[in-house]
Amino acid sequence: MAIKVIPKIISKNASHPGENMGSKSTFKDKLNSPQFLVTGEVSPPKGTDFLSAIENMKSIQGFVDAINVTDNQCATLHMSSLAFARLMIENGYSDPVMQLTCRDRNRIGLQADLLGAAALGIPNILVMSGDHPKCGDHPTAKPVYDLDSVQLLKTVNHLKKGYDFSGNSLSGAPEFCVGVVSNADPNERLQLMKLEKKLSFGVDFIQTQAVFDIDKFKEFVEKADTDVPIIAGIIPIRSAQMARYMDNNIPGISIPDEIHERIQSSDDAVAEGMAIAAELIEQLKPVCRGIHMMPVGAHTYTEKILKKARVLE
Amino acid sequence: MIITKAKPFDEILPFIEGRKNIFIVGCNVCAAKMKTGGEPEVIELADRLTESGYPVLGWAMPTAACSVRSFDHLAAKNEKIKDADCILVMGCGSGTSVVSSVTNVPVTGTNETVSLGGCLGLNPSEHLCIMCGECNIGDFSGICPNARCPKSQMNGPCGGSKNGKCEVSKDNDCVWYLIEKKMDEIHMIPTLQDIQMPKNHRV
Repeated sequence: MAIKVIPKIISKNASHPGENMGSKSTFKDKLNSPQFLVTGEVSPPKGTDFLSAIENMKSIQGFVDAINVTDNQCATLHMSSLAFARLMIENGYSDPVMQLTCRDRNRIGLQADLLGAAALGIPNILVMSGDHPKCGDHPTAKPVYDLDSVQLLKTVNHLKKGYDFSGNSLSGAPEFCVGVVSNADPNERLQLMKLEKKLSFGVDFIQTQAVFDIDKFKEFVEKADTDVPIIAGIIPIRSAQMARYMDNNIPGISIPDEIHERIQSSDDAVAEGMAIAAELIEQLKPVCRGIHMMPVGAHTYTEKILKKARVLE
Repeated sequence: MIITKAKPFDEILPFIEGRKNIFIVGCNVCAAKMKTGGEPEVIELADRLTESGYPVLGWAMPTAACSVRSFDHLAAKNEKIKDADCILVMGCGSGTSVVSSVTNVPVTGTNETVSLGGCLGLNPSEHLCIMCGECNIGDFSGICPNARCPKSQMNGPCGGSKNGKCEVSKDNDCVWYLIEKKMDEIHMIPTLQDIQMPKNHRV
């Protein structure tokens, strides 16, 4: 495995060594374009060996507009999203979106990592509360949540303006493209209210939980009533059990009966799941600004789904 | 009210191993209500220790273990405490600390201190307040998200709330669901639009 050494001095230009979708424009530029965007997601490794995670990145970097790096997703220990986002840059991908949760760091730790991420050339961040430690593999860990996601966004906003949480000035301010997450349930009045609070801090994009019900999603988009680009989550279903599990247990996910029935009656659940994902993407094209592909596991079928949905040629 | 839970009997034993004069201090306020340190529980523990071969010298019931004024105050309840070589306090962590501060023998508590809660009828409610020192519970009409949300979400529910239940335990209502219900009833939902600032944790 070729491991590139971090250069001692990283120039601003060095932060974008790779080419994404054959164009030199950044994710932030594309958010301001009329283009329908596709983003993906890669998990840092559980351990120090990052080869297969980089391979996963390479399998999609040619046709996505940004790649999320998860931050100890499901409260399960992985390499830090900050370190892996930098490894992505060093291995030829310029537009990682570093996910940042409020679970594990207080306001000092969060700001320190944000300053570090900016200095290491990480251009995008996605801010979220983060799953509770009780849901993961370190259930006895102290949950920090010193700031909630709204308060963290306010802090990011301060950093971008050149001062920290306490009002002290910074020597060099980060220029992140900032994303927020939201469930896409139009009936969750307080979650919509929270999204509105997040958007008050100059946010660049909204990334949603996986969408399966287009009508509900349309209603969510209407109620969110914002010009901030919305990127809809897509999880390809792989089995009838997976669909039932997500529907019953994953907050923010609601799967219509029709989809359950299609998966149930299919001889090849994976193929049917891909077909459903592709149909959803086609239906989402006129409704929102892009999609975020989050397969469970590697991006084995992502390219096929995108071609089926005629997002890729 | 301080919510306490009795430690398992076996967990107390290493502390009193080899002691000759064990003295027990109960608490007639919160712990009595929680049945973790009232007179019946003190007598039960004394009997059980004695039956198991641990020499119990005596016991005392101050009004509140956390409000013991002095050693003499305890001795006035039962002067045998003067000969104690260790003290078990059947109160909360605060009561144990106060008893420790007026005595000069090893002191420990027999309870886990869980939270600051209350009692609705006979049922104790846990985690109603975390004593942040910056109370704005009125913004939520008396339901504190800082205390009752496992993620201390002050600006609305996290994405883990499903069907009004908390992601940490499906047995628990999401506190934001309770807040929404109450604020809806009293027509105060718009108040929740205010952005809540981070808490001040300075000691």
